[in-house]
Amino acid sequence: MALNTLEQQALAELDLPLTRPFRLVDHLGAVRAASIIVVIALWEIFGRQVNPLFLSYPSAIGRAFLQIVVTNEFQRSALGSLHVFAVGLSVALVLGIAIGLLMGRYRLAEYLLDPYVYALDATPRVALIPLLLLWFGLGNSSKIAIVFLSGLFPVLMNTFSGVRTVSAQLVEVGRAYGAGEGKLFTKVILPATLPFIMAGIRLAVGRALIGIITAEMFTAVTGMGALLVRYSSALATDKFFVPVILLALLGVILSNIVEKLQKHLAPWKETERAL
Amino acid sequence: MAHPTDEQIIEELGLRRDRRRSIYDHPNLIRLASVTVFLLLWEFFGRKTDPILFTYPTAVAEAFGKLIVSGELIKQLAVSLSALAVGFLASLALGVALGLVLGMSRTVEAFCEPVINALYATPQVALTPLLMVWLGLGFSVKVVVVFLFAFFPILINTASGAKNVSAAMVEVARAYLAPPAQILFKVICPAALPFIMAGVRIAIGRALVGMIVAELFTAITGLGAMLSLYGNIFETAKMFVVIVVLAVLGVGLIRATQWLERRLATWKETERAVS
Repeated sequence: MALNTLEQQALAELDLPLTRPFRLVDHLGAVRAASIIVVIALWEIFGRQVNPLFLSYPSAIGRAFLQIVVTNEFQRSALGSLHVFAVGLSVALVLGIAIGLLMGRYRLAEYLLDPYVYALDATPRVALIPLLLLWFGLGNSSKIAIVFLSGLFPVLMNTFSGVRTVSAQLVEVGRAYGAGEGKLFTKVILPATLPFIMAGIRLAVGRALIGIITAEMFTAVTGMGALLVRYSSALATDKFFVPVILLALLGVILSNIVEKLQKHLAPWKETERAL
Repeated sequence: MAHPTDEQIIEELGLRRDRRRSIYDHPNLIRLASVTVFLLLWEFFGRKTDPILFTYPTAVAEAFGKLIVSGELIKQLAVSLSALAVGFLASLALGVALGLVLGMSRTVEAFCEPVINALYATPQVALTPLLMVWLGLGFSVKVVVVFLFAFFPILINTASGAKNVSAAMVEVARAYLAPPAQILFKVICPAALPFIMAGVRIAIGRALVGMIVAELFTAITGLGAMLSLYGNIFETAKMFVVIVVLAVLGVGLIRATQWLERRLATWKETERAVS
């Protein structure tokens, strides 16, 4: 902001300091960097003093990371988990969007299905894990089922409420111009619902990640979850943190990808529903 | 000449008086029919399957009666609920307190943000095995897992609530020389309350998941342990009882927080700071 000469004169007369005093609020980036450095340094110092059976420290975790990432076992586990995750989540997305569209568009479908959808949505999915293991065994199919169930409901509920909020005007204009039901779906309802669907997918990715970890921890046979259980039972705390950090990174990366995709595919609405 | 009344116009045009009756006038009848048919089919086909893998509604009801009479269900429910209550109340107290601090000081927020984001991004289930190594298999590990699951939604929502308090309101309070404590309790807390309650609603569902996960893995006491136990001895009907109880608990807790949200935070539509 440029000051005129009068103002400058007044300032000079009052002899006010022209530069702002140093305040931490003006250097938030530095504060963040300091925070990260302090936390890691403290962890390193105190972690070294604790019995390594119970707590590890950053440099040990870094060493363990380099050690196990190259092993065959680790790569197989990670790929196995990703495979199950991808299959379960894809099925959940396809079915969730389809059922959500049906329930949102047709009242008969809504009334027939909503008792089950609401009941299953409220049931904590982890409670179904022992049952699904009983039905599908300890292999991939039970894990796929758990990922599927974890990812299904966020997508379904978001699609459903998205279709319900499609403006009646849009549908009526479409009808007035002679669009059939198929055209209405592909040209009006689906685009208008897309922002909601994408928000649902973002929730679903996170839930599915939790689903797969829990399932693998419970079966403890293959995958990243099994590695977690194995390393913690062996009290190899430094190795334990490697899958934990990778899973956190995976969650952040996937959620960012979906967010980017959402901005790219559905830039016309900023709404999102967290259910 | 007098204008014709609506009645006369309807008469003259020969319009039908009553709307044609439609099945959609009674959505609950459709829902009832759907659930009845489902239960009957389940009963019919369930009786034909192997009782080790599958069960049917009357068997579940019978198992429910048995578990109530033996007192087991009530006992384990009490254990689970006490862990849930302690963990949740702790996360509520700490989450709100830290959230208010973060919301009011940008420096503190910048300092804590990297740590909070890192912990929030980590799937909390993945930390359960380590927590079991640290805390054993008892009550305390359940409380800590519940706490971790519920803490972050409350913290993050409270912080964004406190950040969004209208600057005008705070300035008016300052102008009337309100001391900082009064600004906190009479201005910021009430204004942040709707946000806090939204966080509580998300947190209560996650706390329930945390409780089940912790009990599934420790498998000694509580509803999750019952699930795990009955799964291992193939008592499918009893497993279903526990799942239904957990579903009812989930619905009940979420309904209760929604009710509380409406009662406590009726002023949701306040003006927002445009900072």
